[in-house]
Amino acid sequence: MLDLFQNLLHGFGVALSPINLLLCLVGALVGTLVGVLPGIGTIATVAMLLPITFGLPPVGALIMLAGIYYGAQYGGSTTSILVNIPGEATSVVTTLDGFQMAKQGRAGPALSIAAIGSFVAGCAATVLIAVLGAPLTKLALLFGPAEYFSLMVLGLIFAVVLAKGSVLKAVAMIALGLLLSMVGADLETGASRMAFNIPELADGLGFATVAMGVFGFAEIIRNLDGGAEADRELVQQKITGLMPTRKDLRDSAPAIIRGTILGSILGILPGGGAVIASFAAYTFEKKIARDPSRFGRGAIEGVAAPESANNAAAQTSFIPLLTLGIPPNAVMALMVGAMTIHGIQPGPQVMQKQPDLVWGMIASMWIGNLMLIIINLPLVGIWVRLLRVPYRLMFPSIVVFCAIGIYSINNAPVDVILAGAFGLFGYWLIKHDFEPAPLLLGMVLGTLMEENLRRTLQISRGDWSVFLTRPLSATLLAIAAALLVLAVLPALRRKRDEVFVEG
Amino acid sequence: MADTTGQLSDGTANVPAARNVTGATIILLLAFAPQLVELAISLAGLVGSVSARSPLQVVSAHGAALVESLPMLLGQWADGRKVTLRSDALLALIYTYPLVAIAVFTFLARPRAPQDYFGGVALMAVALFALWAASDLSGMRGFTFGPGTAPRMLGVLLLAMGAAVAVIGLVTEGPALQVYHWRGPFFVSLAILTFAVAIRPLGLIVAAFAAFLIAALGTPETRWGETLIVGVVLTLGCALLFPYVLGLPMPLFPRFLVQ
Repeated sequence: MLDLFQNLLHGFGVALSPINLLLCLVGALVGTLVGVLPGIGTIATVAMLLPITFGLPPVGALIMLAGIYYGAQYGGSTTSILVNIPGEATSVVTTLDGFQMAKQGRAGPALSIAAIGSFVAGCAATVLIAVLGAPLTKLALLFGPAEYFSLMVLGLIFAVVLAKGSVLKAVAMIALGLLLSMVGADLETGASRMAFNIPELADGLGFATVAMGVFGFAEIIRNLDGGAEADRELVQQKITGLMPTRKDLRDSAPAIIRGTILGSILGILPGGGAVIASFAAYTFEKKIARDPSRFGRGAIEGVAAPESANNAAAQTSFIPLLTLGIPPNAVMALMVGAMTIHGIQPGPQVMQKQPDLVWGMIASMWIGNLMLIIINLPLVGIWVRLLRVPYRLMFPSIVVFCAIGIYSINNAPVDVILAGAFGLFGYWLIKHDFEPAPLLLGMVLGTLMEENLRRTLQISRGDWSVFLTRPLSATLLAIAAALLVLAVLPALRRKRDEVFVEG
Repeated sequence: MADTTGQLSDGTANVPAARNVTGATIILLLAFAPQLVELAISLAGLVGSVSARSPLQVVSAHGAALVESLPMLLGQWADGRKVTLRSDALLALIYTYPLVAIAVFTFLARPRAPQDYFGGVALMAVALFALWAASDLSGMRGFTFGPGTAPRMLGVLLLAMGAAVAVIGLVTEGPALQVYHWRGPFFVSLAILTFAVAIRPLGLIVAAFAAFLIAALGTPETRWGETLIVGVVLTLGCALLFPYVLGLPMPLFPRFLVQ
């Protein structure tokens, strides 16, 4: 326990240095700015802004990236409430009640409850990371390649079970993602795989490139489908009275706590993450509400719970990354990319070898959340004005920014072309009702999974049964199998579909 | 550009016969896409310097492969000889023939959920292509994985999943194809391509401004006055932000002006 406080104190020491404070602030602000823009989600935001952190020292770069991440998340909820356009997938459910509240002239309370909820969740998640960090790092020492592989299988199954729509399609997307991760040099033999002698593919497909294409460009193209100005009902009236009433606070307090708990749990699990957390929290609130019909008509719990949940999940998803070195979702995979650029190999050893980095980042999350609540509520007016910029001017700017961002990662024009191609592919996926998120998760985990599978089989001399004879690995696989069975069972399928109907 | 909404009028789902001709044609085109792409690249090689094989070589090699590969394979089965097939022949066998078969099937069939059916078929195409692309990699060596093992396993998995999605789309009632629009995707892609091609030789200012204007063509709602102003401001902003404020190395001006 003493350790914990010492660590946190150390972290605050790092995070409170003027330069890191500034970077945290800039990250949170820029993240919010981009997150507010409709059509660029968290993943695209982080991918786009990745290059701006290249010139910074490692700690500062990660603090800024973390700031960008939760800033973007926060910005997304602002657009959900005010314009009924979720800036992020994570705030899709927030539109349901948030926009209704705004229409009733209660945009102010909705925004501030979202901010307060996020902050509470952020505080809880920060403590959770600090508490769980050390024991999980110890657990990681028990993990051999077989356990790593099984854990990642579990993560992928999670993504399948929780993805909306058909299970088959989600599995197909994961297989495709894994396949894409194989492009480039083979880790063990160095053989060039499926690279067609294109030098830029020798190192494999850039994760940021694919993410930008499938989530950034595809979304822009799809938004153009409906005509640039279609259904952008902006709340035009001035936002008066930010403060929620006492009744609002009383109603939303338990929802915030429930959302935080649910979000924290779902964030830690690989394959979970903020999107699922917000859906789950909303559904849960609706289930336990005394009067479920209020939901969708401006119930404040419908804003409080998902917003707390997505913020909690956004932060706790750092736990598997920092302790096990496994990125549980696409944004964390981008974080891995940023760390690798700075020469940091995420995993259990980071916690021990680079306490500055880990604890500084954890502390900066809390500071960042505080900044968001202090800065953003007064700044809401500016964000709203930004939303009044017509999409016909916004989208070419976004295209150009994304293109420059992708180019600057490797200074490679081919990357830009690839991102464009994946943009078209992402558009096709949307048209055929395929979810891009499992694809990206597959791509994130592909290399790690193959490496660990091969290592396991080398150690066991080709005996596949090790996955079932090692207790930890067997447990993980058993959970995965149980989840898959549950997902395919028809009765549960129906329930699960109901859960996502709201989206 | 008569229809300003940029909507492709490729029939409606109510007319399955018409849909299937289009669908089959597209799958057929997909079946020969790798060969056509290589031809296009080698044709471009005549002007630039990308060439690996000359266009004539490409046509004759693929033509021969498409004609010979099946008889060769059958011959191998018939008299047990081991024939090593060239990459072109493998492409024909692994990728093109199955897709041609699917195209013929599509022409005859009436999928009840076209959205799923064509989605599944396209995934099968991707899987077959990956299987071909991984066909030059060695597989299992004793009990250890070779470089080709995992890609092949996943290729088969993706093929199975694609087939399952397609079959379900064939037999169960489901959503029709969504309408594809051409205008947004076309101009946004063109803008991205322009940027990629222009950034090295022409520098950030020209590339960003050109990409901005081309992307703006993606919607009929663009008003050129404001677009030009925003484009200029944005370009200047980027020219200051990326190389100077963020210190990312990229050329600002066209190469020929700097020299």
